[in-house]
Amino acid sequence: MSRTTNVVRMQLVNRQTFIWIPLIVLGGALVITLAIYAMLGSAGVETAMYGGGAQAPLWYFLVVGIYSLTLTFPFAQAMSVTRREFYLGTVLTAVLASAILAVVFMVGGLVEQATGGWWMNGFFFYLPWIWESGPAAAGVFYFTVAMLFFVIGFWAATVYKRFGSLVLTTTLIGVGILIVVGLFIVGRLNAWAQVFTWFAAQGSLGLALWGILLTAVLAAMSFLTLRRAVP
Amino acid sequence: MTNVIEVSGLTKRYRDVLAVDDVSFDIQKDTIYGLLGRNGAGKTTVMSILTAQNFATTGDVRVFGQNPYENASVLARMCFVRESQKYPDDALPAHAFKTARLFFPNWDQQLAEQLIDDFQLPLKRRIKKLSRGQLSAVGVIIGLASRAEITFFDEPYLGLDAVARQIFYDRLLEDYTKHPRTVILSSHLIDEVANLIERVLVIDRGRILLDEDTDSMRDRAVNVVGDETAVDAFVAGREVIHREKLGRVASVTVLGALGDDDRERLAQAGLDVAPVSLQQLIVRITQHAGSAEPSLNDEGALR
Repeated sequence: MSRTTNVVRMQLVNRQTFIWIPLIVLGGALVITLAIYAMLGSAGVETAMYGGGAQAPLWYFLVVGIYSLTLTFPFAQAMSVTRREFYLGTVLTAVLASAILAVVFMVGGLVEQATGGWWMNGFFFYLPWIWESGPAAAGVFYFTVAMLFFVIGFWAATVYKRFGSLVLTTTLIGVGILIVVGLFIVGRLNAWAQVFTWFAAQGSLGLALWGILLTAVLAAMSFLTLRRAVP
Repeated sequence: MTNVIEVSGLTKRYRDVLAVDDVSFDIQKDTIYGLLGRNGAGKTTVMSILTAQNFATTGDVRVFGQNPYENASVLARMCFVRESQKYPDDALPAHAFKTARLFFPNWDQQLAEQLIDDFQLPLKRRIKKLSRGQLSAVGVIIGLASRAEITFFDEPYLGLDAVARQIFYDRLLEDYTKHPRTVILSSHLIDEVANLIERVLVIDRGRILLDEDTDSMRDRAVNVVGDETAVDAFVAGREVIHREKLGRVASVTVLGALGDDDRERLAQAGLDVAPVSLQQLIVRITQHAGSAEPSLNDEGALR
């Protein structure tokens, strides 16, 4: 176990990758969004304003997932770390980083509710459909999204490391085709209404739980791929 | 002697290349090995399979009697920093050493600091900005200070100047004397490490050509120098591995130790005997093996 927690410390050598860049991306997006709200407010917009800028650091977790494998796996091998220890330690690091981000989003959302959207009815963290089941559910939602993005990046990087860029590209295109086929079938069955109803019925918490399931599947696949990967 | 590593029938095949070809050998405890061979001979592949960083196609590897793959108790007793080792993107040398300290139970911080000083390594510069020599120094310091029971050095001298290389050899020998362990050193600079290594493993085109004590290697061959006809008469019936000629003077390298009667014959014929350096011997044996059997891959063409 101590070797696994040491992997967390090894991953956090990349403090810039794991902590500072996500926070800078978040801070930057927040400042820009608030500046836009202020301009809109001074132009006389009275309705509540919502923005998508808070997604930015979540997308960045894709990159974090890739880096944590490509740059640190070869070093972990030189440190005589087993693949299992590396995997568990890396996932644990991602859990920590996602949890920190989720807490920041929760606190941000609570502040926005308390201040009525920064005293100008503008919301960055607080999106009603995510917060409909309360702050804790919103936190779970943000945590899941960050983890999911991380695991997608990590999974793609393990496939690349083990099988090379040709297989990775083919796999990604294959996934894309499956999604398009899925959309096509839904369209042919005229089932869009049902699909949207289903999404709405799940709510943010339900979607987060589905996200956790998807994250777990991708994480398990990553481990099986990593078991035979060569640095 | 106890064996810390036992390899039998190890083969590694990449799609179209046979990198390691049915190799069997043992590594003894507390010995410094020279793993010698040409570029692409299979040195790094063998070392990375022994440390479970890479996988054998077939064959069996035992380290401390166990399979090293996913075996933390075995891996923690080994250290292998690659010649082309990658480090985390933001890492400074200080980070790399701090991490190594976490994972290697015998890590000696004092030795690490002394080596940092010896190699004049800047601790506060990102590893990816270091010069080739400084990058090698990071690997050398991790390898020495980790004091692992089996330590691999994969051409650790790349980019190091002559002074730094000598520091490495001196510190290795010094620390090895105080804390005996098994060291496997892969190198091209055979004569530089000749005094360091106790046992020689020569690998060529994925096969082990030689597995011998360095001391007995020295008696394996001699150069016989003198008048060509006299030399030819002497070497008749011996295994000649190299021949050079300048005018009427020939220098012929023959395998096999010389007995007293041989030396007498040489003296009578007016021939001189010159020792063969380890490097010369290995080059000659490798060339000899290359010409004796047709190579399977064209890459191995010898000059």
